[in-house]
Amino acid sequence: MTLTTLALFTAAALLAGLWPAARGRRWFILAVSVLAVYALQPASAVRELDYWLPTASLALCALGWAVTRPASAALTREDGLAGLLAGGLALGVSALRYVGPSFYLTPTQPPALELAAVAVLAAAALGFGLTRAAGINKAMLWGLLVLILGLFIVLKTDILTQGVAALLRSLTGQAPNLARAADLRWLGFSYMAFRILATIRERQNGRLPAFSLGEYFTYVLFFPAFLSGPIDRPERFLKDAHAAPAPFADSLMEGGRRLALGLFKKFVLADTLALAALNETNALQVNGAGWMWLILYLYAFRIYFDFSGYTDLAIGLGRLMGFKLPENFNNPYLKPSLTLFWNSWHITLAQWIRSYVFNPFSRAMRSREKPMAAWLVILLGQIMVMGLIGLWHGITWNFLIWGLWHALGLFINSRWTEFWRERWDESSQPAWLQKGLTALSTFATFNYVALGWVWFALPEPGQSLRVLACLFGVNV
Amino acid sequence: MSDDTIQILAKHISEKILKKPNRVIAPDAAIISSGLIDSFHLVDLAVFIEEKFNVRIDDSELTADTFDTLTQLAELIKERSH
Repeated sequence: MTLTTLALFTAAALLAGLWPAARGRRWFILAVSVLAVYALQPASAVRELDYWLPTASLALCALGWAVTRPASAALTREDGLAGLLAGGLALGVSALRYVGPSFYLTPTQPPALELAAVAVLAAAALGFGLTRAAGINKAMLWGLLVLILGLFIVLKTDILTQGVAALLRSLTGQAPNLARAADLRWLGFSYMAFRILATIRERQNGRLPAFSLGEYFTYVLFFPAFLSGPIDRPERFLKDAHAAPAPFADSLMEGGRRLALGLFKKFVLADTLALAALNETNALQVNGAGWMWLILYLYAFRIYFDFSGYTDLAIGLGRLMGFKLPENFNNPYLKPSLTLFWNSWHITLAQWIRSYVFNPFSRAMRSREKPMAAWLVILLGQIMVMGLIGLWHGITWNFLIWGLWHALGLFINSRWTEFWRERWDESSQPAWLQKGLTALSTFATFNYVALGWVWFALPEPGQSLRVLACLFGVNV
Repeated sequence: MSDDTIQILAKHISEKILKKPNRVIAPDAAIISSGLIDSFHLVDLAVFIEEKFNVRIDDSELTADTFDTLTQLAELIKERSH
């Protein structure tokens, strides 16, 4: 997010917060969120793709809503208006083609209006058709779930992304052999996909509250959280959407404070630390163990301030409009165990994976007639959860290894705690000893996490191994 | 009813999860956000509640947002057992 985008978002959020009528405010937030999807999408080398990807985001949202709504619910006027608004804005963005390049909302020229109209009408017809059939056919929920996971895998695997980019290039008459994975950067997809998947799973469990189409669009595309989360839960988000907003003066104070904090963390601390933090280039230049530890620590703080700064900005913008987005960080580097670290780092993603992967798996294994042994459930569960969290960042070896590094750490952490539980009662120890042990555990946890960042920061595992060796005084 | 429920839950947690039968868990002490119960034992607790009280706590509800203390958990069980 650039400072200009942030300034525009802040202006929009302030306007929404000041909007006198709740109804108008909701439409305004929806419109800004839809337009932001187009405005944030980076340019693509494939012609007009930077228009089609955001349009596909809108279509996926509409499909998500259509298949997750209760079969008995009638379509309301509000739903129709929301559909018209989203479709109308998509067409409006395309129509800017005829106004002139300086008015494009997309980074490059949008497609011709008639082409956009065909796509919008097709998506609307499909969505409408599905609302007729939803509920009759549970397979559709699974169908969309598989489609989204499939897209996820394609977008996160360079070789597949490149293949699809080549295919798209041949459709636009561009040279397929020049295709690059970067041609297909679908901004916001990871977060959007996880929100839609959450609504699908909640619907399958019978726990999804009734969303209007406008509310569904706003939940999935909410502009403060579109780029980097947090991943709100459907039920919680809807509660805020329906609640009477807090007095604007309060929202302004609270939101303004979070925005200022986010700005400082992201644009001052993180961007300054980035100048010297571990990366592919300086990993090759640094040889001494001490210096390597230093740039690794700088990386640990850079990534924390960068991501938690973004979250502060999202929470601050949401607060200005009366939304209380969930927290994503809670002093993660001050936790005395890896388990507690993962309760306070990227909280909403970890919680999502626990809710929809770890918990169902553990429950199934523990509810069996012959329950699986606890240690095995924990081991397999952690490998699954942390492996997925790693791959969520990209389907590459380095992210997988990073995930497994944490899975191993969490497993050892859990076994260690279990072992000492019956043999050691910390609460009966003197205070100085308890404090000392907590400080020691916090230090050890931070360093385990920092060493994990070596895998995360460098795309080549071979280079990560060299850095790890160097950290311990071995130069290879 | 709630007091009994709290007693049963506290006993289960201290004996089966924490393995410290003498450990007293205050009804209003945070059990999830404090890290007292990790994600695995939380699922085990949900399985126990389902067997004991015939009340289902869904996978996506096993968070400190839904309940964080024994009092809140007992309330939830009470609400759902009607």
